Amino acid sequence: MRHRLFIILSFLFVLVPTVLATDQVRVAGSTTVLPIVAEAAKHYRKLHPGLSLTVSGGGSGVGVASIDQGLIEIGMASRDLTTTEKQRLQGKVRQVAIARDAVAVAVSKAVFDAGVTQLSLAQIAAIYRGEIKNWQQLGGPDRRILVIDKEASRGTRHVFAKVVLGSERARAAGATIITGSNNEEQAAIANSDKAIGMLSHAWLNDAVRAVAVGEANEAVLPTFENVANGRYPIQRQLNLLVSEKSSEIGNTFIDFLLSSKGQQLVQQVGYLPVR
Amino acid sequence: MLNKFIIVGLALPALLLPGACLAYILFKGLPALSWSFLFSATEGTGFGATSGILAQLLGSLLLALAAILLATPFALGTALYYRLYASKRQQGLLAGLLNMLQSIPPIVFGLFGLIVFVHLLQWGVSLLSGAVILAMVIMPMLVLNSIASLERVPEQYTEAAQSLGLHHSAVIGRVWLVQAWPGILTGQLLGIARALSETAPILFTATVFSGVVWPESIFSPVTTLQTHIFYLAQEGSNQQVIQVAWGSAVVLLGVVAGFALLARCLSNRYEKTQRLGVE
Amino acid sequence: MLRFWLTFSALTTALVIATLLGFLLQASWPLLQSQGLSFVTEPEWYPYEALYGLLPVLVGSFWSIVLALLLAVPTGLAAAILCAELLPGRGRAVLRFSMELMAGIPSVVYGLLGLWLLLPLLESQFDLLTGRSLLAAGLLLALMILPTIMVFSETAIRAVVAEQRQTAMLLGLDWPTRLLRVLLPQAWPGIRIAILLALGRAMGETVAVMLVVGSLDRLPQPLYNLLQPAQTLTSRIGREMAEAAVGSVHWAALIASGLTLALVAMALSLLIQRWR
Repeated sequence: MRHRLFIILSFLFVLVPTVLATDQVRVAGSTTVLPIVAEAAKHYRKLHPGLSLTVSGGGSGVGVASIDQGLIEIGMASRDLTTTEKQRLQGKVRQVAIARDAVAVAVSKAVFDAGVTQLSLAQIAAIYRGEIKNWQQLGGPDRRILVIDKEASRGTRHVFAKVVLGSERARAAGATIITGSNNEEQAAIANSDKAIGMLSHAWLNDAVRAVAVGEANEAVLPTFENVANGRYPIQRQLNLLVSEKSSEIGNTFIDFLLSSKGQQLVQQVGYLPVR
Repeated sequence: MLNKFIIVGLALPALLLPGACLAYILFKGLPALSWSFLFSATEGTGFGATSGILAQLLGSLLLALAAILLATPFALGTALYYRLYASKRQQGLLAGLLNMLQSIPPIVFGLFGLIVFVHLLQWGVSLLSGAVILAMVIMPMLVLNSIASLERVPEQYTEAAQSLGLHHSAVIGRVWLVQAWPGILTGQLLGIARALSETAPILFTATVFSGVVWPESIFSPVTTLQTHIFYLAQEGSNQQVIQVAWGSAVVLLGVVAGFALLARCLSNRYEKTQRLGVE
Repeated sequence: MLRFWLTFSALTTALVIATLLGFLLQASWPLLQSQGLSFVTEPEWYPYEALYGLLPVLVGSFWSIVLALLLAVPTGLAAAILCAELLPGRGRAVLRFSMELMAGIPSVVYGLLGLWLLLPLLESQFDLLTGRSLLAAGLLLALMILPTIMVFSETAIRAVVAEQRQTAMLLGLDWPTRLLRVLLPQAWPGIRIAILLALGRAMGETVAVMLVVGSLDRLPQPLYNLLQPAQTLTSRIGREMAEAAVGSVHWAALIASGLTLALVAMALSLLIQRWR
């Protein structure tokens, strides 16, 4: 008897949410774009209380794959679509830029404080190819370099690889470990005293410092101005991928992001507005 | 007694480590617990700085309960078939298949669910997909447990019922289930505990990072404690987030332990009655 | 009517495996078509260059599991002997209960322990570039399978019939001899199964390993180097599951990895059943 009661109670508990889904906006993809969307979602929900807006990470690769398969309404990508992706998604998906961002070449605080505050593109490439293995070779302390690479499908990696290694698909033979989200990479750099990695500049903090990129006397830091005037070489647009058959509410969310309030949020979170 | 010392020495890690780990987890996580932590669903700014895990707690429980609800009819049915209609050969085959199912890593079920439920059937990343996947993961355990519980019902009861001319369904409903329900329920509680601790299979098939407090339908995704901890684990420098992660771990542990203890109490209480009941 | 439903249930359960394998096989087909079975011994994994080798993860999984067993079996067995033979009743119940509780700790919590406690420890102790390595994975796995080994071995040892112990004692055998020559050999079948079950659990563990192993898809240099970051089968599937475009060869390769995992696990299970 008690058993049946338990079953009935659980049934009710589970069946209560079985009202068919109304309008839902599912967003997934790049962890660089995620903070913007998550923050905007909070504000947007206040304006549209009945809306179901879910946000998930996974990386730009997940964003592209998911929208391709119709699993989500809006994909987040911290890079432009590749040619193959453009072909596949032709007519189904359009790309909307909502912010700009710089990919910082970040090093552990200990390395930065020891004097490595600037690296040329060639030096960074050499590190990632495994040709330079010790910070001493770059004017730093005598420690091996912990080279942190990212999963190949991550937007940040695509952008970094294109500028530093020549192709977005290039391999980094000198990589020591591979991390996934921006968070994971930030944590790995912060917890080490000899690491180098690629991070969206909104993730920089006291323990994770950006080096100026470029030749010795014309090295550029990833600041807002240097992105705006184009001097910082490793930068990208943060995009939302919208399905053409997207519902009204999805499109209005994007309009919200592109509005002045939305772009204000973008700056609040740490990125550059798209214009 | 040198040998005894060797044994104790070797066993020391086994004796000390588990307790030490548990103590560490509690030490790190208990400070994070508070009424608002457990029962609000507010989201903080930035990545993962949620200040309330109610949504995740509900999500975990929903998934586990849904999985049990889906698995129980099949599990009971299979167990009853095993006892009632299966020949020796079929029993052996069934037991073998169940053991093989039980040994398959949960992530493989996750992959299967991704192919079939999320993409093929177009259920998307949803509560339903996750529930079916978890149901598959816990099913062998439920079946084997139900079979064992049914087998503990003394033969005399069955014989007496059959000699009274009772139909199969009456024998089952009035005799077997009435006698075996504590064991079966214990199995289900353990099944819930198991479903609560699975992370990998539901990571990309049922959960999202944020945006859901109570799912609108079985086709919408959920957030769970297990996946929340996973996301937060990738945070390394924000102390507040680390605190939340440990707190969530403690809550998850508490819930899992709660169900396990409940199962243990149940089986203890009713095992005595059953033994006494047999003349 | 009843018979129909019961048969239906049983049939569904029985067919789950076939359905599982069927879909996995079908989804792996693109890979098998283009590369046959050579991907198993291919030493590189780089989807962008159409390299889908399983060898790095097979070696990685192998080492992490072997390490876990090497660490957990002696300790677990010793604890089981302690529990079954040397502890008084109260102590035994407490130890056993705490082990059963440990067995239920979700793996993601072990992941936290590994990431925030174990990794810094390894880095400082061994002066490593990074603590993420097969060693970390092996240690974490050992911790996770310890309760399994202990609980099942303890059951096996206690199951040795009282007669055998009494006879051994009557024969005047001292404790070490009793242990090594009578108890353990008698309990060995049960202990063997405990080890295999633990192996199964270690093989299937995903989340905890994913966080601490480093995810570098390369063969360790040299092959027995456990202090380098590497990749295991489960970690690779977990990390790339959502990223591969459905239907692509990358997708098929991931499914094929999953299929391999499932097949090995089932083979292990058959072995356990034979030995019961």
